[in-house]
Amino acid sequence: MSSTTNGAQPLLRAVGLSKHFPLESGLLARLRGAGARTIKAVEAVSLDVYAGQTLAIVGESGSGKSTLGRLLLRLMQPTTGQVLYQGENIFSMKRARLRAFRRQAQIILQDPYGSLNPRMRVGRIIREPLDIYRESTPAERDKRVDELLERVGLNSAQARAYPSELSGGQRQRVGIAAALALSPQIIIADEPTSSLDVSVQAQTLNLLAELQQDFNLTYIFITHDLGVVQHFSDRVAVMYLGKIVEEAPTDALFAAPQHPYTQVLFSAIPLPDPSRRVNWDLPKGEPPSPLDPPSGCHFHPRCPKVMTECSAIVPELEETAPGQRVACLLYGDGEN
Amino acid sequence: MMSLLSVRHLTTEFYSGGRWLEAVSDVSFDLRPGEILGLVGESGCGKSTIAYSVMRLLARNARISAGEVWLEDVNLTEASEDALQDLRGRRLSMIFQDPMTALDSLFTVGHQVVETLQEHLELEPPAARERALALLRQVGIPAAEERFGAYPYQFSGGMSQRIALAIAISCHPQVLIADEPTTALDVTIQAQILHLIRRLLVEEQGAGVLLITHDLGVVAQVCDRVAVMYAGKIVEFGTVDSIFGEPLHPYTQALLNSLPSQGIQRGALENIRGRVPSLDDRPAGCRFHPRCPHAAAICREEAPPLLQRANGQEVACVLYD
Repeated sequence: MSSTTNGAQPLLRAVGLSKHFPLESGLLARLRGAGARTIKAVEAVSLDVYAGQTLAIVGESGSGKSTLGRLLLRLMQPTTGQVLYQGENIFSMKRARLRAFRRQAQIILQDPYGSLNPRMRVGRIIREPLDIYRESTPAERDKRVDELLERVGLNSAQARAYPSELSGGQRQRVGIAAALALSPQIIIADEPTSSLDVSVQAQTLNLLAELQQDFNLTYIFITHDLGVVQHFSDRVAVMYLGKIVEEAPTDALFAAPQHPYTQVLFSAIPLPDPSRRVNWDLPKGEPPSPLDPPSGCHFHPRCPKVMTECSAIVPELEETAPGQRVACLLYGDGEN
Repeated sequence: MMSLLSVRHLTTEFYSGGRWLEAVSDVSFDLRPGEILGLVGESGCGKSTIAYSVMRLLARNARISAGEVWLEDVNLTEASEDALQDLRGRRLSMIFQDPMTALDSLFTVGHQVVETLQEHLELEPPAARERALALLRQVGIPAAEERFGAYPYQFSGGMSQRIALAIAISCHPQVLIADEPTTALDVTIQAQILHLIRRLLVEEQGAGVLLITHDLGVVAQVCDRVAVMYAGKIVEFGTVDSIFGEPLHPYTQALLNSLPSQGIQRGALENIRGRVPSLDDRPAGCRFHPRCPHAAAICREEAPPLLQRANGQEVACVLYD
């Protein structure tokens, strides 16, 4: 799969997307009106997702990556901004259009223990989307469940099992089968393998790669595992405190990360190779609270390359190489 | 070579379904002063059970059924509960994946550090407070003086783990057992905590650290030597350079090849066929044989012993007899 976009139209496009969570939502807060404190979980994010590719959204806790994923599927309303699916804003879609969009865009969650209904048998979990969308006849739906089970490497006898009777890897396969049931175009995978053992993670990633090939699936991987990112994605967006600080083709990003945060993040990854040592000195301090983000560039208090103007000027994402965008004054035109 | 902690033929069992099942089978290793020894393996391989066996903190349905654990001249497997109470926190400490396992939410963090110091070192309150403050600064708590009276819930996960580490190292332990200490933390915080453990304990005090983890990246970066475990046994043991440079056991090889990285084409990660056997269903012979690409007839019958090779690396596999 190529990481270039070949001038193709994006399948999904976020434009100026923001999500602010009010801290107090009671009557008092409403009476107090404007000025109530908010957490800016996602702030002015613009992003393109191309068909058949994998976009990885990476970041640490509190970076807003999961909130962004939920916005892209209209699982929550944005404070401002749009998400365009084939050019149409998903937040202004009416019932029938929205229903059609939801078929096309599915989600796989991290915790195969928590995300499957423990009281439902596996067959019913996978069948539920087909029932909701009244796909074909009930008999055909049963057949489809069998097909899906086989496709994800389970057997039809396991349709009778409850999630608690399966291993973590098998449960993740059930989640994948349910996401595939309606033949979607887009699958958002929120930390799909982080609770799995290495060997089970490998099996799951191989399965996801096969499905992408066979169905030309578009994936959005939300993850903090940079090994998975490097192996599986075509493009990467790096988030810090609600904003994208760098976006680039995977190979370019790993070869030469430009934003100081990306550099710090990459240098902190423990690689399974004793000859390539982690730089223990780089990461300083903890991410600040999203309640009270630093002025200017949010990363400036931890940045090893901080300049005086960084606390005053909010850097915009600017293209520094074809397909690579960075939000840092070090790279702005004329700033330095 | 001198050994701080010596685990000899340790076998630990769990009672389940009316019988005792082996979680750890005949495991032996030595932890030396000034080293970080990694115990690595997937869920259920017994690595945490070894930690709890050493600390004598096993649950009620578990028992050490054979073997001994020595902390220098003390036989931990035969020590009384009083003796253990005195050793834990003083000569032998532990930190956990969830720092709240070690912290009490009802007391201020300062109080908890002071309490450990007073229990083991007989310090006067002002001296204990001074030392507690110094420890909190050492582990990187910003504004330690102001945060001394704060409660655990007022700290992030990374800060809580720092406090747990401050308590664990407060009495200069000879041995620290760290059970997945950074698994719940972000990668930049993980790097800081691992670096602290190496600097404060290993380099400055010459302590030995037994690091239990599933993360092969963490092992490669911070450990000196590593034991690879599968289904309750050590299958391979050696220096980090030798294990990562020339893995010998088919399980170690498969584990390393199943790690996602850039060099491997998407979808082509190594699949270890089948799954880890459960405690009540462990295969005879080599426990890895049903999943091993090199399995021969003898592997189904005889459990291969862990044997040392010329370069010092130890491996339990008939391929190297």
